Amino acid sequence: MRIGLTAALVLVVLTGAAWAEGIKALSASDILRGRFVQERHLAGFAAPLKSEGSFLLAPAEGLVWQAEKPFAVTTVMTRNGLAQQSNGATTLNLPASRAPFMAGLYETLSGALAGDWHALEKDFTVVKSGDDAAWTLLLTPKQAANADMPIAAIKIAGAQYVERVEITKSGGDQDVLTFLEQSVSQAPLSAAEQNLLKGAGQP
Amino acid sequence: MFARPARFAILWLCLVVLGAGYLGLEAWRGIPFRTDLLSLLPADAAERDQHRLTQRLTDEVSHQFVLLVGDADRATARAAAAAFEQALTESQQATLTKADAGVLKAIGAFYLPHLRSLLSNADRIALMAGQGESIAQRALAQIYGVGGFADAKLLAVDPFLLFPAFLTQLPAPLSHLALDDGRLSVQADGKTWILLAGSLRDDPYALDPQERFTNLVDQIAAAQPASVTVKRAGAVFFAREGARSGLSETSTLGTLATLGTILLLVGAFLRVGPLVMNLLAVAVGIGTGLATNLLIFGEIHIATLLFGVGLTGVAVDYGIHYSASVFDPAAPSPWARMRHVFPGIFLGLLTTLIGYAILLLAPFPALRQVAIFSITGLVGSFLTVAFWFPSVDRGQRPMHSDRLLRWANGFWHVWEAPRLRRLCWIALALLAVLAALGLSRMSVDDNVRRMQSLSPSLLEEQADIERLAGTSGTLQFILIDAGTDEAALQSGEALRPILDDLARQGILTASRGPADFVPSLARQRENRILVAEALDAPYRATHLAQLGLTQVEANAGQAPLTLDQALQSGALPFLQQWVLGPGQQVVALDGLDEVAALRAAVKDVPHVRVLDPAGDFSERLGTYRHRALWLIGLSAVLMVIPLAWRYGLKGGLIVLLPPVAALILAPSLIALTGEGISFFHVMGLILVLAIGVDYATFCAESDAAHRPVTMLAVLLDMATTLLSFGLLAFSSVFAVHAFGLTMLLGITIAFLLAPIAGDVNPRRRIS
Repeated sequence: MRIGLTAALVLVVLTGAAWAEGIKALSASDILRGRFVQERHLAGFAAPLKSEGSFLLAPAEGLVWQAEKPFAVTTVMTRNGLAQQSNGATTLNLPASRAPFMAGLYETLSGALAGDWHALEKDFTVVKSGDDAAWTLLLTPKQAANADMPIAAIKIAGAQYVERVEITKSGGDQDVLTFLEQSVSQAPLSAAEQNLLKGAGQP
Repeated sequence: MFARPARFAILWLCLVVLGAGYLGLEAWRGIPFRTDLLSLLPADAAERDQHRLTQRLTDEVSHQFVLLVGDADRATARAAAAAFEQALTESQQATLTKADAGVLKAIGAFYLPHLRSLLSNADRIALMAGQGESIAQRALAQIYGVGGFADAKLLAVDPFLLFPAFLTQLPAPLSHLALDDGRLSVQADGKTWILLAGSLRDDPYALDPQERFTNLVDQIAAAQPASVTVKRAGAVFFAREGARSGLSETSTLGTLATLGTILLLVGAFLRVGPLVMNLLAVAVGIGTGLATNLLIFGEIHIATLLFGVGLTGVAVDYGIHYSASVFDPAAPSPWARMRHVFPGIFLGLLTTLIGYAILLLAPFPALRQVAIFSITGLVGSFLTVAFWFPSVDRGQRPMHSDRLLRWANGFWHVWEAPRLRRLCWIALALLAVLAALGLSRMSVDDNVRRMQSLSPSLLEEQADIERLAGTSGTLQFILIDAGTDEAALQSGEALRPILDDLARQGILTASRGPADFVPSLARQRENRILVAEALDAPYRATHLAQLGLTQVEANAGQAPLTLDQALQSGALPFLQQWVLGPGQQVVALDGLDEVAALRAAVKDVPHVRVLDPAGDFSERLGTYRHRALWLIGLSAVLMVIPLAWRYGLKGGLIVLLPPVAALILAPSLIALTGEGISFFHVMGLILVLAIGVDYATFCAESDAAHRPVTMLAVLLDMATTLLSFGLLAFSSVFAVHAFGLTMLLGITIAFLLAPIAGDVNPRRRIS
């Protein structure tokens, strides 16, 4: 099951900037905020499904992904699970136990945030090109034959932060994410944000 | 018979040697011991069908085991789990359940051709309530949102994403676990826990495989780093622990009983001869019983052995009765003394055999084994006493005989001195009042869960596994017996909302059955219509336009799904456990608290029955308690025949009075303590009757001159019996305690009242 896979990859990839530049990873109290544009290229669809909105990444807490266009959908991913809200109603709430991939990837992520990249290198071959001002990472799964690995390749480009991510799935679908207006702050999360993070995956 | 006793003695010796040879051969081959309580169950026609199903389910469950391997370091935990997996697989003692990601994939692939017929419960309810729009909204959110359901291939056949909703709501048996790189794992208490589940190849209740398996698990656990924690659940561990603690307690009580008996007999006779002879008689009796049982049944149940040894032990009465005749002031020769006590012990044997033979009538296979064991064992002991004792006896009248006799006679004297006699009757009247009080308060207790004492540390481990993994294997089920699969699945669907409701009330934690994975054909048809009318018709065109989705496969996934397909696919291996036959299915229940509440809640669902093997077993114990009581009554009545032949009808009834009084008083006094009367109390009563009749018969056989000798013999009988059985009252296993306490009270009362039979005199001669 692929629930949460993209979400988890986004988490890994966003924090991956630090690794690419060889500087310190996000610390537990850091909060990364920014805007995104997501384009899904799906076979059989007339046009890519385009959405945009804002995101928030708090390494110790999780990810809040708020699409604004074409309509408001909030996706929250934490260690405990994944939740989606649309029009104020919860449309999906999956405990981590129901989405086995998430637990594993979340662990990879926690490791990555702590500066431990071995988990990621275990599953992917990483090729870096360019310099610190404009770098590119190409991640290819080590076990391409593994039918459970739905990813064919991930291309990440960035400078100070990750700016563009292309995720090519084994079925041919492609997600292209562009990140804008990113900033790191240490200000605490708002009560609403904390509530969102707390609710994910809770029965 | 006693004209040429030596010939009989030699003939018996030949038989015993033959039997010993046979036993030696069997022991060398390994005597097949059985330990499971459930194999004691009867073949009662009315219950046979249900019993067979229960047996099959409990068999399956009892073979299963769960190990949870935990360590703070994930890699260490995984290495330990791998070590367990390898060693257990290599030992060929167990097969481990596969848990790789392929399982989930196989489930998805299996359902895909049928997806139009499948709906999650929540979606079904939403569509019936006309909330199709919210489902369309959810699909959009999932497709645009960051969570990755949006697979182009899936969207082409399932644009509303109903299928992922169905898959994710399937009841997972181990709901807290997630697949982590091929291992079912959970993070809790600061550790990574990895679950290994499997099934034992051999019978978990047979002592030998039980010991081999638990030892192997202990060895592997010991070979892991000290930080690794291993938690265990499964019948095999409890059975092993029970056998082990049972053995250790048995050895403590056994040592006390043995030491006490040695002190008593050596102290009384000031010689080891009588002790050795009586041990020999009991050993020959047990050997006889064991050999006969193995010849007839080919195996022996541990319970048969325990009760059989107990019932055979009654033979000590005959041996001691003979041995005590050495105190007779006339001090005749050994053979003359045997001739003197023979009528008494022969009548004792006869009445006891009647009591035991009645057990053959019980519709209870184990009781039949016990009866065969104890009847042949008792006869073996008796022959040993009658023919070997006088041959080997070299005893002289001990110096302290007169003192002992005077002291023992005191127990009889109280019934003779007019003033004391009145006191006795007052005491008796008081006892009768107490008995009446006890009888009025008497309650029964057949709860099998209380009969065995389960290891607290294992219970704790099991609770931990339940907490960490979600479940540890269930023993409670709902049985659906509907004739056809379709009807059974429909019953299962009718149960679903009721069970969900009970789960919300906390009466059970979870439940799952075939209908959760394979909807009935009727439900599938309903689902297809519901989707077409409540979702596709009003929203599909808009939905597809909004997505810009042009390539759809509108006709995919139409095929109906049958239970047979599901069973044959192998994608849902757990279905095999729940489908017992055509139209016969079970719903497995986790954490069921109140069976009665469940029974009441499901009573209107057709073809449904709640199975609670432990509860059913308790119920059955109740039935046998009841039947055994009737059998005891019947044997008491039958005992009148030989007693009336010897003493006349009135005399025979008087001889029966003390044991019958003990039969009534012992359980009444136990009832006064608030303890419920169980099947095991009643098993004790069988012995109280058999032994009580012996005491009374010995007293009746005694003429005035021999009263002190008889009373001394009965006193020694009683003391040895209390040492071997009365001590069991202090066992921590309720069943054993119940048996022991009944013996303690019953035998004491039968002894104290035995002199009442002394007024009776024999009318006919024996031998």
